[in-house]
Amino acid sequence: MVFNSLTFVAFFALVLVVHNLPLAWTWRKVNLLLASYLFYSAWNPPFVILLWISTVVDWYAAQGLVKARRESARHAWMLLSVIANLGMLGYFKYGTFLLDNFAAVLHAAGVAYQPAPYDIVLPVGISFYTFATLSYTLDVYLRRALPAENFLDYALFVTFFPHLVAGPIMRPTELVPQFEQPRRANADQLRFGLALMTLGLFNKVVLADSFLAPVAEHVYDANKIPGALDAWAATLAFSGQIFCDFAGYSTTAIGAALCLGFAMPDNFRFPYAAVGFSDFWRRWHITLSSWLRDYLYIPLGGNRHGERRTYAALMTTMLLGGLWHGASWTFVAWGGLHGAYLAVERFLRRRFAGYKPGALALVLLGLLTYALVNVTWVFFRAKTFDKAWLMLRGMAGANAQAKPILESFYLISVAVIVGGLLFAHWFMRARTLEGVVARAHPAAIGAVWALLAFAIVIAQGSGASFIYFQF
Amino acid sequence: MDMRRHDVSPEDQVRYLRRGNYARVTAADRPGVAQPVPEREVPAQPWGRILLGTVIGFALLLGTWEWHWRAFGVRPAYRNDSGLWAIQRRRIDNGEGNATVLVGSSRMFMDLQLDVWQKLDGERPIQLSWEGTTSLPFLEDLAADPRFTGRVIVGVAPELFFSGYGFHKDSIKYYQKQSPSQRIGQWLSMHLIEPFWAFDDDDYALATVIERQPWWPDRPGKPNRLHVRRLNVSGPDRATQLWNKVGSDQDYRVLASRVWMQDFVPSDDDPKPEAAAKTRDEQIDRAAKAVAKLRARGVKVLFVRPPSAGPYLEYDLRLYPRASSWDTLLAKSGAPGIYFSDYPELSRDWYLPEWSHMQVGDARRFTANLHAIVVRNFWKPDSAK
Repeated sequence: MVFNSLTFVAFFALVLVVHNLPLAWTWRKVNLLLASYLFYSAWNPPFVILLWISTVVDWYAAQGLVKARRESARHAWMLLSVIANLGMLGYFKYGTFLLDNFAAVLHAAGVAYQPAPYDIVLPVGISFYTFATLSYTLDVYLRRALPAENFLDYALFVTFFPHLVAGPIMRPTELVPQFEQPRRANADQLRFGLALMTLGLFNKVVLADSFLAPVAEHVYDANKIPGALDAWAATLAFSGQIFCDFAGYSTTAIGAALCLGFAMPDNFRFPYAAVGFSDFWRRWHITLSSWLRDYLYIPLGGNRHGERRTYAALMTTMLLGGLWHGASWTFVAWGGLHGAYLAVERFLRRRFAGYKPGALALVLLGLLTYALVNVTWVFFRAKTFDKAWLMLRGMAGANAQAKPILESFYLISVAVIVGGLLFAHWFMRARTLEGVVARAHPAAIGAVWALLAFAIVIAQGSGASFIYFQF
Repeated sequence: MDMRRHDVSPEDQVRYLRRGNYARVTAADRPGVAQPVPEREVPAQPWGRILLGTVIGFALLLGTWEWHWRAFGVRPAYRNDSGLWAIQRRRIDNGEGNATVLVGSSRMFMDLQLDVWQKLDGERPIQLSWEGTTSLPFLEDLAADPRFTGRVIVGVAPELFFSGYGFHKDSIKYYQKQSPSQRIGQWLSMHLIEPFWAFDDDDYALATVIERQPWWPDRPGKPNRLHVRRLNVSGPDRATQLWNKVGSDQDYRVLASRVWMQDFVPSDDDPKPEAAAKTRDEQIDRAAKAVAKLRARGVKVLFVRPPSAGPYLEYDLRLYPRASSWDTLLAKSGAPGIYFSDYPELSRDWYLPEWSHMQVGDARRFTANLHAIVVRNFWKPDSAK
């Protein structure tokens, strides 16, 4: 079920009540585990089986890793986990993509091959929980952690509903220890958790779904030729939409966990105030970028084997990171562009090692970073390369036959919301939400909270899925 | 759980924070180590008092909003969305496959009154019409479902049916893939929200309300367009009627009419005549195929062209002259049809406030007259089942 639904409101209220009953800790964990399965099966019950497979395979793989005496046996257990998880991901997420590309290659070679329809439904959040479970066996394999002692704690780590389908991607060392001791939110944690959930849902339901998504749809999904204003407005709208959608989800998830007495890590640090792309990736989807760094970039050699190898590792990581987002070459292009940006930045940082930007230069470099990030969003949002080129040509003002697409309301709402978002990110660049809230007047906090809640209700969201559920 | 290498020295943490101007260490600042249990501080504030103030403020704001819309004339009603449609569509799967089903556009949706039909016919039809959309995808959906063996009345609004404009066709996919969560949410909404709150309607959603304010300037080359306002009120089984405000409120009626009038003048977005004719013929061919499929398993199909009036009727006829559209549809599909102007009892002086839909009183009389014609000329009692 999605956070922005009546079903979730009822579900969460029930979970909270049971979690706060005077029951033994084990039973309260069982409640959370069953609730998490219910949360997941509310989309499509049979897919719970995939969760079980992933859970059980990695549990036994980690046990095997610890018991293995020979290095080859350790490799085998690790490979079992990787193959099982990535195999499942590959089958459900990339099957059609691989088959289509295989057919295209054969076609290019002059072989007429028409594959049978591959009508597989993508299980929601499969990319997230396979990465979470993989990190469990990989941490044990890399001797960063010992396996969980208790299957219930481990299963709950995999399944815990706040992070299950769209992150933050939790590491076992972040969550399993929290299940070892009884936890229950105190009154202030519960209230602040509810405030975070309100903020997250406001981002999703009001900003992303109600105001920004329609602007992007009007241009990206229409069969029209956009001019510079429309192409930029739609792309900026999407940049705001995807941030509000995904950061909104993470904030809601963090708030929900806090209401239950658990802590989850930040997934965003006001990324549109980033200066440069290494900074951007330390602010955007932090739990994915750090996962890719720890389990892909570093094992590929990282920056330990010379410049060429570093660049190769960087590009490989970002290309695969792009593919993680979706089974399409446009996502690969998105990842490739980010990889290229990071490589160029790395080169420039080494070339101008002593350069320290002043305040104005910092803002200008930040705006340049944001503009270039927007270029990558074109490939992320466009369904085809043709559409992406059309949008990019539009953004460059090179579409000669363009006619206005968006009415003034849409242009103004993008300017106000995305402008406000940029301002907020720059203001919050070196701050935390908690720090700002701690210094605010209580009446102001209450007024803003009430307004956000009111806006969520009157926005009347349709319970639209979060964008990242598809990944 | 043991964490062997999660410690990053305090010096390193400070270095990371300074380098990126970050306020808090995250996994991004701890490469290649096991990540520790996160810490989430709660800002020191009187959260009990804040929550109380929030609840009071929220209640006041929501109460004012509800009062505003009730003062505008809105009363609680059921949301006419894909969830509500799916409930009706599912009746065919759950033992009512031999029912009379209505597919059509807004005229079939608002002009045909289910309770009147039920009183005369003995059974309540399943209302699957959608406003603002061609009925063809829904006819094809029924044709593809062998469980449906009843009778179907297909409403034809020329500018929608023959143009193939499919505004709500996603509802079929929604019905096919509706998740347990969505079903539960639908039930909760229909029992806890919709019967009690007037503001709960797409027309009064925040973004819609703001978009419809008069202060937005016209963009050169893209003037602001009036969007269709709320016209109907629906019950839990999608029994629907024209909202009485459309007939009784002069300003609202004028506004609703102005919305239609925008379509009556040619625009750059209109398809070329050849393309429109091609689309029309394709729609007719698709309809004929669907009808053939339905009739092959004994389903009775009846096309109905409900009334329009004034400039809307002129527009309908100008865009799709009867001979090349309606008459061709009947000829190619082989199904019978009722064109309102062929029957004096269907073409009397109905009151269509915005030239397209009947007020509820006339809709009830229209339904009774239509039923009489159907029974007399097409579906004799007990002939279908």
